[in-house]
Amino acid sequence: MTRFLLSTCIAVSLLSSFAQGAPLEARFPEKHRAFFKAHCLECHDSKTRKGKVDLETLSFRIATIEQAELWQKVLNALNAGEMPPVDSDQPGNTEKADFLDDLARTMVIARKALSDSGGKITMRRLNRREYGNTIEYLTGVRVDVGSLPTDGGSGTMDTVGASQFISSDQLEQYLKLGRQAIDEAFERQAAQKTKPRVFRVEPETTVNVQSVKRMRGMKETNDRFMRWKAGVDKAADAPKNREILAKILEENPKFDRSAWPSASAFQFYRHAHKLIGVPDPKEFGFRDDNAAVQSFQGGYSRSYAYLEHYANLPHSDRGTYLKLTWGIQRIDVSPKPKNVPPGTYTLRVRAGVVEGSPSYRHFIEIGHPQRVNRVPAGFASLPISSHQVTGTIERPEVIETRLVVGLHTRKEFGIQERQPTDAKSLRGAYNRHKRTNGYGMPPAIWVDWIELEGPLPETGPPSPLRTILDTHPAIATQSESERARAILSEFAEAAFREAKPNATFVDKLLAIFGARRKAGDSFEIAIRTPLSVILASPGFLYLKELGNDAERRQLDDRELAVRLAYLLWSAPPDEQLFDLAERNQLHQPKTLREQVIRLIADPRSDAFVSGFVHQWLDMERLDFFQFDVNLHREFDENTRAAAREEVYQSFAHLLRSSKGGRLGKLLKCDYVFINGLLATYYGVDGVTGDEFRRVKLPADSPRGGLLGMAAIHAMGSDGIVSSPVERGAWVLRHLLNDPPPPAPPNVPQISRLEGQILTTRERLLAHQEEPQCASCHRKIDPIGFGLENFDAAGKWRTEDGYQLRNRRGRGIGKRKTWTIDASGALHKGPSFGDYKELRDLIAEREEDFARGFTEHLIEYALGRPFGFTDEGLAKEIVSLARSKEFAVSEFVHSLVQSKAFRTK
Amino acid sequence: MVFLGMGFGVTQETWFPDLEQTGADYKLPDGLEPLSRHKKDFTVVQGCSNQYSKEAHWGSTFWLTGANRFAVPGQSMSNSISADQVAARALGQDTRFSSIQLNSTDGSASGHGPGLSLAWDLRGKPVAGFNNPVQVFHKLFSADDLPLEQRQAAIAENRSVLDAVLTQAKRVQRGLTKTDKDKLEEYFQGIRDIETRLKKDEAWLEIPKAKSPIDEPKPGLKGREEVEVMYDLIVAALKTDSTRVMTYRMPGQALLQSLGISLSAHNVSHYSPGERMQASQSRDSTHSELLARLMDKLKATKEADGSSLFDHVALAFGSNISSIHYLTNCPTVLAGGGANLKLGRHLVLSKDTPLCNVWLTMLQGLGINVARHGDSTGVVKELQS
Repeated sequence: MTRFLLSTCIAVSLLSSFAQGAPLEARFPEKHRAFFKAHCLECHDSKTRKGKVDLETLSFRIATIEQAELWQKVLNALNAGEMPPVDSDQPGNTEKADFLDDLARTMVIARKALSDSGGKITMRRLNRREYGNTIEYLTGVRVDVGSLPTDGGSGTMDTVGASQFISSDQLEQYLKLGRQAIDEAFERQAAQKTKPRVFRVEPETTVNVQSVKRMRGMKETNDRFMRWKAGVDKAADAPKNREILAKILEENPKFDRSAWPSASAFQFYRHAHKLIGVPDPKEFGFRDDNAAVQSFQGGYSRSYAYLEHYANLPHSDRGTYLKLTWGIQRIDVSPKPKNVPPGTYTLRVRAGVVEGSPSYRHFIEIGHPQRVNRVPAGFASLPISSHQVTGTIERPEVIETRLVVGLHTRKEFGIQERQPTDAKSLRGAYNRHKRTNGYGMPPAIWVDWIELEGPLPETGPPSPLRTILDTHPAIATQSESERARAILSEFAEAAFREAKPNATFVDKLLAIFGARRKAGDSFEIAIRTPLSVILASPGFLYLKELGNDAERRQLDDRELAVRLAYLLWSAPPDEQLFDLAERNQLHQPKTLREQVIRLIADPRSDAFVSGFVHQWLDMERLDFFQFDVNLHREFDENTRAAAREEVYQSFAHLLRSSKGGRLGKLLKCDYVFINGLLATYYGVDGVTGDEFRRVKLPADSPRGGLLGMAAIHAMGSDGIVSSPVERGAWVLRHLLNDPPPPAPPNVPQISRLEGQILTTRERLLAHQEEPQCASCHRKIDPIGFGLENFDAAGKWRTEDGYQLRNRRGRGIGKRKTWTIDASGALHKGPSFGDYKELRDLIAEREEDFARGFTEHLIEYALGRPFGFTDEGLAKEIVSLARSKEFAVSEFVHSLVQSKAFRTK
Repeated sequence: MVFLGMGFGVTQETWFPDLEQTGADYKLPDGLEPLSRHKKDFTVVQGCSNQYSKEAHWGSTFWLTGANRFAVPGQSMSNSISADQVAARALGQDTRFSSIQLNSTDGSASGHGPGLSLAWDLRGKPVAGFNNPVQVFHKLFSADDLPLEQRQAAIAENRSVLDAVLTQAKRVQRGLTKTDKDKLEEYFQGIRDIETRLKKDEAWLEIPKAKSPIDEPKPGLKGREEVEVMYDLIVAALKTDSTRVMTYRMPGQALLQSLGISLSAHNVSHYSPGERMQASQSRDSTHSELLARLMDKLKATKEADGSSLFDHVALAFGSNISSIHYLTNCPTVLAGGGANLKLGRHLVLSKDTPLCNVWLTMLQGLGINVARHGDSTGVVKELQS
């Protein structure tokens, strides 16, 4: 009781206004009454009720779902341009835009108010991320959670219990994944008894040998083809074919036999069968003349010179140059699967770069090899990682990285030069090189060898499962059933986060074990089924907190430990947290603060950083588009991953910073967090290697802060061109905390400008003509224009252009270019001359930014949508943080200390 | 009963028939032209929409439910049962699978909105779908090689597993608030659903799975080829009477990519004359070609009595999104003889007719005893033959 009183007092003094936060109401501004009367009530008053719609009694204060529905109808009708009808008086454009603007916002507030949880936190289950982390914590095994449905649809975060659901399909998935984890944990353990092996591949004995063999094949085919071609030439030159020849050329004026080797000549030979006296391609080993020509066009002609050039390069006798576009591009290390049991492995690559090759090509990527019809074809999935090659051919360096092999993951690895997922897209570049150098893509990376070593001895503390199994070995004094019971009860307790399982449950698990034993399974096998059942039980899946319908209840220390660990680690509490909870100390403000500091400093809080930031900043969009390789060659999957990491690293730095770590640094700062890959991308010198680090920027750099990051701009594009609308809306939503209402349905679209050659700005200015569009776009578009100096992939540019494109996306006709004008003015706000001035204006709005951040943090931490109930809490957190110069960690501290966080 | 959902809508100008030409004598617009050989066997319905739908990018979430997202106070998202699941409750009794949901991996990028398939269960929760044709094939046709006793033992073990977690769930339930108990109820429901499935598995234990009329699909198909093979699986599943209810939430982004179009599906949905409109139109034509091919196959599949599978199917193709951001006049194509619909027509209903009236007409046409569905106000008499 003392404990309860004490902590409540502190919470109250700390966040006094939390309970009294006045409920905000959704009220449509009174100033629109005149508009409403003039344009709506004429027909829809209580007397006329045209279309059975009576708006006269409709309150401007929206308090019920019915009122909201009717107002929504009004908004829809206006947006759709249906109302007011064309034959009635039309409102002025600005007047209508203002009306729509306010109504749309009021509706957002009304929806929020009507769906407010009243501070109630619905019990939640582990979301996909937390499930994966928790399984890993318990068993040491990382399962693929891709088969579980994503959480947090319809605009809420993945921690929101009310938006989560569970279904029978999902339950079956949990059973399956749990079993996989248990099986793999056992296999891993068994593998620890074998000595690690080293599988080294010297590419001069694999890739190079195969390449030479391929060249020989090509040469032999080419000889046959040339003999056939000579026969065709002879026939074509014969007088008896003169007329036929003329006819072929008449029908296909582009054919040109003399232009050998070129497409126009190849086409001619594909028609050779039309001539009299041509040799039969079958006699030369070709199905028909089409196949004969193809053997040359797609074989010898295309890549023989390329392979030959590479084969003759110096140092090819003791290594290989990674090829791009054609030839064998990968080096694989493919041991027999049985020799690669589950566990951790090291992959080493000894490599150097070719002097003079472009620096963006000095990266390798690692992945699982894919073969199509037994021919190597890129990776089976996205690259696992990318690495900068820092050595030279004379002084190669060894790149080393850790890889995990699971029970069900692929057991072979390959490396290749970084490339777009659709490797075909580089063929144009290859051909351009070939026209100038005679062979194709010049080499950029030389590899001496690669090797895979493992499974490595397990390091770090053993998983709870391991510990439990080890403490209960088979001993003579204990019956088998007693042993099984001990293992199952202890594992259930660990899985249920230190809540004891009930005896009946353990009895039933034991029965399952017994049935398995009876059926002939060994102890080691039979125990696996009940162990995995624990991982599909509600005690594991749900974060249970005792509750009381009548009044809010303070969490006990164990519950608090769980909430805290899942907030900052997305994983269960560790021993220290449970220990503090058991001693009833965790809730003490000082202890709680120390623990938050400890948890944040622990690398496990990376899960909070990525999980929270990804959702806060709506980063899902980053994965929406394949970037057009012809326009954005460097924006491949490796850049995408690094760009995402930059956002996380920048936030993590502020969160963990001992000196403040001011939130506003995300709006503007004089440094970036980059690795070698991003440094190359941004053109920053002196940064090499794969580790992210803080780099100070020159004064004139546009980078520094979210608005300088490639990820943010790539999200505001469609992979081809920048989208000022997406970017403007994103800035309003996430930086200025002034979210535009969701895109309304049924707004007539402006289409008349398509096909005209206009600048982006000219094109989008059409938004200002229609009030339905202007109501939102007058705020959105100017910000987007201010960011136009960043192209779709976030590279800096001063010029942009527009070209008509055909349906395949190829440019047609002349390209219009213009110098980018990033100047503009915020709606009803200050003007800016260029991007930097815009950034300064946004950076001044740190408090708005902090407020938006706080709302998202509250939703994430409490697991319920931010509602009006949380108004007071948000205000308190922001004002406390202000007094600490908006240090990111202070937001977390205030939230964790708040009553809301400690109450069910 | 088959539902095929597109996500983002169609090209308004070239997909919808002329409003003036109704009845049997109407000209097929370009977007539907590839269906011309089946013109007598499908009906295009105009004028329907879901009155509560406001999400301009959610083409599938409420398509078959007609629900109001905000209907439940204190919740920002709610849904209700979809028409196919209503059918599954009645038609799923006698088949191995009550219903099969097909899905694609690019849901959010293709304008489908929240959900795991087109289907939503009795409590308005999303029903999972398969997004891999190979998986669907194995689910439908792969024989279980284990001997009978082992399969019986497996079912028995599954029962014990359910029994164990049920015990645990009851324990967890203690001391929860009312809301949390409701939340946990989903878990109990999950157990009950698996239980029902086990009962069904048991009933079908000695009946081998149907032999597949088609080969195992190639892995990794995307876009157009993926739709083709999923359509083939629909025919195969219905032909073998493995199930009688199927839905397919079709790929959008991947479909465009497979047509060599690099624009995003959302971008294409905001077409205007030029490149994007052409892309939108070629997607429409592709959909119609694929649908025509599906109808060919349904017609070519003969039943014992000489009728075709097509004669017994009730099929609807469309989306909650009409075109661009428009949610009025949902594009709707109905085909098949199963629901006794008047086919071969262009039917223009009064503006804002609940789309659920069409679903209700289909359900009743299939002999399912339901009085209403979603926000329906009655059946569409003009559709009934």
